[in-house]
Amino acid sequence: MRALLGSVLLMAAGSAVADRLTMPRGMGGVPDIGAIPCSVFNQMLVVAPFGTRHSLVTWSAGYVQARSGKSLQEAVTAAGGTSGGWTYDRIAGDLEAFCAANPGAVTGDAAASVAKALQVAQKSP
Amino acid sequence: MSTTVAAPAPGKSKLWKPPIVGIITFVLMFVGVGLAHTMMVLIEHNLGRETTLAVSPLLGFIGIVMLWYGVKSKNENFQTWIGFFAGIIVWMCWVEFFYMWYGRMNWGMLPRMDGADGLRVSGTWPEYMIMGSTVGTLLMMLCFYTFDKDTRCNMFLWFQDRLGLREGLGPTTKTAKDRNYAIITFMETFFVTWFCYAWNLLTFDPGLVGQGDLFVAVNLASVFIATIWAGFCFTRLIQFKRTSTALRYAIPVGNIAWVNIEILEKFDMMNAIWVDPWSYTLEMSVIFGAFVVLIGLLVIAPKKPSEVGGRVGVAE
Repeated sequence: MRALLGSVLLMAAGSAVADRLTMPRGMGGVPDIGAIPCSVFNQMLVVAPFGTRHSLVTWSAGYVQARSGKSLQEAVTAAGGTSGGWTYDRIAGDLEAFCAANPGAVTGDAAASVAKALQVAQKSP
Repeated sequence: MSTTVAAPAPGKSKLWKPPIVGIITFVLMFVGVGLAHTMMVLIEHNLGRETTLAVSPLLGFIGIVMLWYGVKSKNENFQTWIGFFAGIIVWMCWVEFFYMWYGRMNWGMLPRMDGADGLRVSGTWPEYMIMGSTVGTLLMMLCFYTFDKDTRCNMFLWFQDRLGLREGLGPTTKTAKDRNYAIITFMETFFVTWFCYAWNLLTFDPGLVGQGDLFVAVNLASVFIATIWAGFCFTRLIQFKRTSTALRYAIPVGNIAWVNIEILEKFDMMNAIWVDPWSYTLEMSVIFGAFVVLIGLLVIAPKKPSEVGGRVGVAE
């Protein structure tokens, strides 16, 4: 009975591992940069600042697109454009600052925070 | 430093004879690998990352200036020390810091992640991912030494013997007097460091060995090979009488032994205190103090005339 229970638990554990998205072998990063704890994002920033923040900028661009139907460029233009302060560095910096201030949050919350600052409206269904 | 002659001569000293010379040089080089890591961390911390990466190409020239000074010296012992430290400086500034700038900043690479949930930043940072890709260049450069009839490195001489090259290459055209130990030690330090890094990086690369049984098997094989190799070389090293020769020989011995440390760290069986000197101030201070004392001992150790400028032959 114990052996059977052990086998079931092992199969369940194996199934859980098999269900988890993983990066292709050898590649850096995580499969979903928008769904990791900010504490992990902060650690990644220490050793890979530009790549890590760019990953979250592109994830945020997808978030903005999904939410408003606008590309990140269109959202930035609508908010005043780069001359209005919405530069790449500003967006990346805001994402970083959110996670630095909220290590317990997930990175998607940082993207939501930037989308809110960009005054991205929910697209009509 | 150009006239470091201490009495008595090594053959007559009760302390400076085998195996003391070999043991001290091995410990120095082994500990030196860890302290080189600490030095990099401290430079980056004190100068700030952006400043460090910006000035590292210039800092590397300090090593070249040292090398220039060492090459002009007639003192083999001085040449050896200068070649070693210049090699370390150039490796750090022109390779590690420069790769760091390319990987972390210029190319915007991401670190490899590990752990059960894939959310732990592994030690394979962007610069090391770049470094792993240089193995082909490394092997190509090592071909030069394999086919160079003037090489005196025992490993390459062994290859030449096994490949039946000795007759084809002909007798060496250089004697000990023709050799400049500053550039020899410089290149040796650089290539040994590169080789051992590449060794660890390839055996850690999940793209090559995965993360399962093969990874464990390859790294256990690495431990086996590194221990046997370093151990064999150590048995030769402890027979050395000349500090200059022992210093040069200890560079690969210490580095090959250090391959095990990196693997133990990768297996979470060792805490890398040398890259976190702020948390281990006392421990790292003691290790650094011991390192300085060992250097001091080797500097004041009695030398043969051939080591300090009066070269008549450099037999061990």
